[in-house]
Amino acid sequence: MIRSVNPNQGPLQILPWVIPALSVVVWVMVSEMQLLPTYLLPHPTQVFNAGYLYIFGTPGEGMYTGRFLPDVRASLVRVAFGFGLATLVGIPLGVLSGRLQACRRLLSTPVNALRAVPGICWLPLALVWFGIGLKTTVFLVALAAFFPIYLNCASGIRQVDPILLEAGAMMGVNRIRGTFSILLPSAMPHIIPGLRLGLGISWAYLVLGELTGVRQGLGAVIMDARMVGRIDTIIVGIILIAVIGRFSDTLLYFLMKCFFKSARRLS
Amino acid sequence: MSRRFKVVSSAAAHRRKPVLEIRNLGKVFPAQRTCLSVLEDIRFDVQPGEMICILGPSGCGKTTLLRILAGYVKPDSGDVLLHGTPVSHPGPDRCVVFQEDAIFPWLTVEENIAFGLRGKRDWRNVRQQMVDQFLSLMGLSAFRKYLPRTISGGMKQRVALARVLILQPEILLMDEPFAALDAQTREEMHSLLLRLWEELAHTIIFVTHDVREAVTLADRVIVMGKSPGRVRQSVEIDLGRPRRQDTDRFHQKTKILHDLLRHP
Repeated sequence: MIRSVNPNQGPLQILPWVIPALSVVVWVMVSEMQLLPTYLLPHPTQVFNAGYLYIFGTPGEGMYTGRFLPDVRASLVRVAFGFGLATLVGIPLGVLSGRLQACRRLLSTPVNALRAVPGICWLPLALVWFGIGLKTTVFLVALAAFFPIYLNCASGIRQVDPILLEAGAMMGVNRIRGTFSILLPSAMPHIIPGLRLGLGISWAYLVLGELTGVRQGLGAVIMDARMVGRIDTIIVGIILIAVIGRFSDTLLYFLMKCFFKSARRLS
Repeated sequence: MSRRFKVVSSAAAHRRKPVLEIRNLGKVFPAQRTCLSVLEDIRFDVQPGEMICILGPSGCGKTTLLRILAGYVKPDSGDVLLHGTPVSHPGPDRCVVFQEDAIFPWLTVEENIAFGLRGKRDWRNVRQQMVDQFLSLMGLSAFRKYLPRTISGGMKQRVALARVLILQPEILLMDEPFAALDAQTREEMHSLLLRLWEELAHTIIFVTHDVREAVTLADRVIVMGKSPGRVRQSVEIDLGRPRRQDTDRFHQKTKILHDLLRHP
């Protein structure tokens, strides 16, 4: 019998940190040996200082001090709205087209056609429609996050074993209750990866939406820094988005497990 | 309560009003360019408290017949009458124990058994009492918090049985429920089923292709033939209970059924 290894214990625990740590080591080496000019890749300490000032500095100390909280708040609000909208539309539509062949056929062509359009193509149109700011970003985020959420939900619902629905029917379960107490729990192992993919893409499209001249947001900071050539702040923005994106993914997974038995028990 | 009643019943049953009447049932499946007649002119009555086995070779339409009785499939001709009213939808008065694993994998043993009661009874403690009662009837009390993937096939079928018995169905429909179990477990399930049947006095229709299973369980065996699926003969199994498989009369009955299956 194969001995099972608990991934939360022992040497496996450090595995997730190996690649980030190695990257930092390589970065330090490259900077120390001056293989690249600092205007392309600043020294880690410089980036660290810029990050420290950005996050913890008092206003006036540096160029971007005091902006951190409003920036993060603005970005979080945009992601939350966009991702929430995508979920609210994607899950019900996914259930419908997973169950009803008519709905599936109706949606498959437009969805697959729209899916082939790169999100950046929507940017000019969104700017014309919604102007600069919250609405454009939310539109882009929602549009991008919709596809993985919808597609995963639909395929999860389609794969629900019909015998579970038959079992429900004989126990007197109606359609509405069947949807919530059989279909969705049963499709949960597909729905969750869809939501996680959607949330990841949300962060990507957030920055796209914020590159267009909004005043606050992590994307805006990156864009401002590019204008004035502050490479260190650009890197700070990138790292912050990576960290917040990673954290929001964990949070989403945790919340799903908190609220849904099926999320807890089937994955 | 009704065991004594049932002993007298074999002869008396025919005079009482049947719980289920199956009238001229026919079902046709479309096949390449032609139609394949799966069931033809099926007719029999089921008396209250009776244990009926439907025995037939694979492909004779016995599962289709059971699915019609359950209300999952509409017959092309004929009627199924439950207490005189036609059956049209699946419902908790005709519960099914499936051959495959059909319990909900995200619910514990206990939650699976309580599933059909949800939204029905407002009295939480009454519901819990019933669940407790069925857990102990099935010998599952120690496993109440377990998830289906962590228990054995025999236990899963016990959960499947418990979750429908708790709804007190008029008729229990069983579609080769023990076919996937090993011989030992199957025998345990047979005695459990018989014990529950005596205690709870359900009417049971049990589909099987196993002759010994049919003789072990049934009051009456309905032997079906193949293409088209028809009732070939109805055989009374008038052996006392509990039945032992090593008696002459048991062998005699087994032989009769074997011969019926083999020679049309």
